Amino acid sequence: MTRAAATTHPPTHDQFTTLEQQAQAVKIALGVFLASEALLFTSIFALVTAYQSDWPDAFRIGIAHNTKVLGSVNTLVLLVSSTLVALAVEAQRADRKRIAGALTLSTAVLGVVFLVIKMTEYAEHFREGIYPGGHGSFFLEHPQHGLPTFWTLYFLATGLHAVHVTVGTGLLTYRGIRVFRGSLTHSLEATALYWHLVDVIWIFLWPIFYLA
Amino acid sequence: MTGVRTKLVSGTALIALAIASFAFSYLHLGRGSIGIAFLIAGLKTLLVGVFFMEIGRERASFKLALLAGVLLVAALLGFVASDVRLRGAPPLPPPVTQAAPAV
Repeated sequence: MTRAAATTHPPTHDQFTTLEQQAQAVKIALGVFLASEALLFTSIFALVTAYQSDWPDAFRIGIAHNTKVLGSVNTLVLLVSSTLVALAVEAQRADRKRIAGALTLSTAVLGVVFLVIKMTEYAEHFREGIYPGGHGSFFLEHPQHGLPTFWTLYFLATGLHAVHVTVGTGLLTYRGIRVFRGSLTHSLEATALYWHLVDVIWIFLWPIFYLA
Repeated sequence: MTGVRTKLVSGTALIALAIASFAFSYLHLGRGSIGIAFLIAGLKTLLVGVFFMEIGRERASFKLALLAGVLLVAALLGFVASDVRLRGAPPLPPPVTQAAPAV
């Protein structure tokens, strides 16, 4: 079975002559988007690496202060969710709409679980007096140079990632419901590609802020 | 469906690699631990890219867009790494705060 055979396609937009041409244009745009996202997060990774070389001790304190177990559980949540959405694409190709919809909605649920765990971590940080920009009582007790920079970069990177997870969860919910009902005319591939990117970004955020 | 089996095996491998990364973080290997963590992260990214995103099955135009991103990422990391490695001390010392003269 070909990749798109299982899906009922919408009519082409005016600027395209064939469905294949339209689908390919979407893929190219998605490729450029994924590349730009990778570049955005790499710039943050590069900042962390550069500042870590300036203040290795402060960054070690910051990483040790993070809850390794919660970060690791979130890693497992995203890896399982990525597997589920990949299976959803396979199910849609096989024209098993109900299974594809259920798998997509399960992925969205795991996205919510990830966000709940992340917000739990943030709440704990705020309770300890850790805020972006080096504000809060934590920094009076730990006056080491570089700690405010570590926590600012932590909130920037994980916050930006959480925004991506939120958007992805919304997309997966919307598409999952439509696939389940059999009313989705597009392939799930684009949404799945976006979710895999969110997963890959966390694959690198995890060692940087929890394991290093 | 062989595709389903491939995805299940890939997902299991990803979880196994994550558990390995977690275990290595307790071995206290110093600077080596971050190297191992990034090596495992690279392997996981490869698995996601090849088996979940199926980049190998995409057309050349899609691969070209991703390749452009990879090259730009490599250039960015290369320039940052060279800057961190080669830059000298800051050109100016930090400002010294002085008490205001008594009037």
